[in-house]
Amino acid sequence: MTNDAQNGIAASARRIGGVAVLAVRAALRTRTVGALLALLAVCVLVLPGAVKGDGTPEGELHILLTYTLGFAFGILCLATLWAACALFAAEIDSARMQLSAVKPVRAAEFWAGKWLALLALNAAALLAVYTGVYAQVRWRMHRDGWETVEQPVSRYVAHPLLPSPREEARETLDELRARNELPKGYSERTILRALEEKAPEKYTEIPPGRQQAWRFRLSRPLRAGEAVTVRLRFETEYNTRAQVTGICRLGCVETARAVEVPLDDFTLKEIEFAVDARAFGQAPDAGLRTFELSFEHTGDAKHAPGLLLRFRKDVALLTPGGSFWMNLLRAAAVHGSVLALLAAFGLTLSICFSLPVAAFVATVLLVLTMVGNSVVQVVSEEDAKKWSNRAGMLVSRTVHGATRHALKAEPLAALTNGERLEADMLRASLVWNALLLPLLLAAAGCAVLRRRELADAE
Amino acid sequence: MPESKRQPVIETRGLRKVFRDFWRRPTVEAVKGLDLTVNDGEVFGLLGPNGSGKSTTIKMLLGLLRPSAGVVRVLDAAPDDTRAKARIGYLPEVSHLHPFLTPRETLMYYASLFGMPRKEAVRRTHELLVMVDLEHAADRAVGGFSKGMARRVGLAQALVNAPGLLILDEPTSGLDPIGSREVKDLVCALAQGGVTVLMTSHLLADVEDVCDRVAILERGVLRAEGKIAELLRQPDAVRFEVEGLDEPDAAAVRAELEARTGRRVRQEYPAMSLERYFLQVVARDGQQRAFAMAPFLGAAPADTNS
Ligand SMILES: Nc1ncnc2c1ncn2[C@@H]1O[C@H](COP(=O)(O)OP(=O)(O)OP(=O)(O)O)[C@@H](O)[C@H]1O
Ligand SMILES: [Mg+2]
Repeated sequence: MTNDAQNGIAASARRIGGVAVLAVRAALRTRTVGALLALLAVCVLVLPGAVKGDGTPEGELHILLTYTLGFAFGILCLATLWAACALFAAEIDSARMQLSAVKPVRAAEFWAGKWLALLALNAAALLAVYTGVYAQVRWRMHRDGWETVEQPVSRYVAHPLLPSPREEARETLDELRARNELPKGYSERTILRALEEKAPEKYTEIPPGRQQAWRFRLSRPLRAGEAVTVRLRFETEYNTRAQVTGICRLGCVETARAVEVPLDDFTLKEIEFAVDARAFGQAPDAGLRTFELSFEHTGDAKHAPGLLLRFRKDVALLTPGGSFWMNLLRAAAVHGSVLALLAAFGLTLSICFSLPVAAFVATVLLVLTMVGNSVVQVVSEEDAKKWSNRAGMLVSRTVHGATRHALKAEPLAALTNGERLEADMLRASLVWNALLLPLLLAAAGCAVLRRRELADAE
Repeated sequence: MPESKRQPVIETRGLRKVFRDFWRRPTVEAVKGLDLTVNDGEVFGLLGPNGSGKSTTIKMLLGLLRPSAGVVRVLDAAPDDTRAKARIGYLPEVSHLHPFLTPRETLMYYASLFGMPRKEAVRRTHELLVMVDLEHAADRAVGGFSKGMARRVGLAQALVNAPGLLILDEPTSGLDPIGSREVKDLVCALAQGGVTVLMTSHLLADVEDVCDRVAILERGVLRAEGKIAELLRQPDAVRFEVEGLDEPDAAAVRAELEARTGRRVRQEYPAMSLERYFLQVVARDGQQRAFAMAPFLGAAPADTNS
């Protein structure tokens, strides 16, 4: 690199640093940050004590991981979004931006400086919140002497090998067409899309006397000395569920040995049991990878109700996946990446609009994103015929589509379920939320900033 | 340097600005076809009554407003060129400082925007604080400053990069007479060091004191332009000033003159200007501190990529 280029980069870094320091100072010297810290402290220190759990370690963990982290993250989301909305807008509206804009600073340098300031503030806040939760869990473990089985875990999750939702949707469509049962008034594309969207949510019934089998391939093989956990979730008839009995058979394809586990308590909607790797015989060096799980409903055909399962969600094999504390760290990284995206989003809005407008637009879009996911799944095609519903669907479908990849990782659900946040999920979250989407938003924001007349607002 | 060889530092041709409302309907034409040239090393005054378009013109020069028509060249570049911006210092009409920053932090912030290395920024900040006489308040938030103190911070901020072109929008507004005297001296000193200055004011005395050339705007139209000396010369009048002449001698001189020229001669006892009197009474240190800024003259522009 030439000397000139090096000097240019150093000068650029100093400009970005200057902008970032200003934004951090602005934040630290207002009362809002104090209020925010107080709220977070309440979430971490007071909330877990105030919410009455069921007294079990599992319940306490649930409160800490779902309520505390959930509330704290929600607060940080709104705070980040609004702070970002204020960063440019307030400076432009108060004409302070004019003094900075006549300096040799590129639009991208302003944007990057402010974004980095928000990242730094968020990183500090997340660190505090997660450290608080970590300390709380440790303290409770110590105080109440949790047993090994009660302690929080992190496990790899394997779902059954099934055709992709798209393939399944195609098959269903072909079947419907063959039977001449296609719903009238919809294009095949619409039907296909609806089927594909609903595939992961589709319940299949296992009636008494019927057996269902699934095949699994573990992403990380099971080694000697480890245990594999079978998890079944289901819906069933409340009054007659005591009649349900069944047999689970878990077989390892590599060693051709299987274990049978009789099940007779279906009163909760979830069954978990662990099988030691030794039960499958001598494991090869590469470990055990391919498994077959079958469930046979052995209940009385007259009185027992069927079991309803979503194969893609409710049937899983869980294997050890590192420590829970590392998983906590991964969850923090995912949350950090989502906050980075919100910061980028708010900043770009704040270039385009004045503070109240930017904050309003940001909040509406945030709410749409949150409800968008559920709306897309809840609204039936029948409802969507009315134009008002259709407009709503269009908006929520668009928002859902745009944010689906960014919000795919669900760190809190993973933590509470003791599921490891997989590396590719983490990577996708970081790359999308903390890099690609912010770059896109930055490009848009800078284009507007370069064109905007900064002296107009006086 | 002969006039004809001087490089134009600011040049506008047919510059127009029409402000529009939210629905893009024109509300006011603030600048109407302005042709302006400011040459290298000149102190140029832009005069005009309130609302005549002085600030609007300046904001177009700085790229803060987009001209509705016409061409602007500043330091041989378009107004939004960062290389040109690196050599410009700007003091706006109202200082618009960040209220939660101290003067020291403010100057460090603007120095960082020029990409100045930290060490250099610290040194320059210190020098500028001494220059504008704010060392004693260097670590108080500017939000609590008086108007004149804030103005001084604004002025220091405009000099952070040792600019080659200084654009001052009503630099003396809000300053006490000592302050305005200092600013005027500062402008003169900078000009001697080769800095080009464009300033606006409606305080005609200020402009008269420091500017080489002026332009007078009225409702966005250029009404007059030229060297102050030329604009103000009254070709058919001569004035003598003699110190320590007593009454009878004065009468004799006057009679002699009237007899010689056959014209009426007016006799006055000029009073000291209020400004001079004020300065004598309130003089601090008896010094003109503004010249303490000598180290800034001729310093290289700060931005490393220029
Ligand atoms: N952002 C703006 N939007 C609409 N009109 C504006 C805007 N800025 C200036 N104007 C109008 O343009 C005209 C010129 O204003 P400008 O501020 O340039 O005057 P000025 O010569 O600097 O006056 P002053 O001596 O009071 O500072 C005025 O009529 C003013 O109302
Ligand atoms: Mg003005």
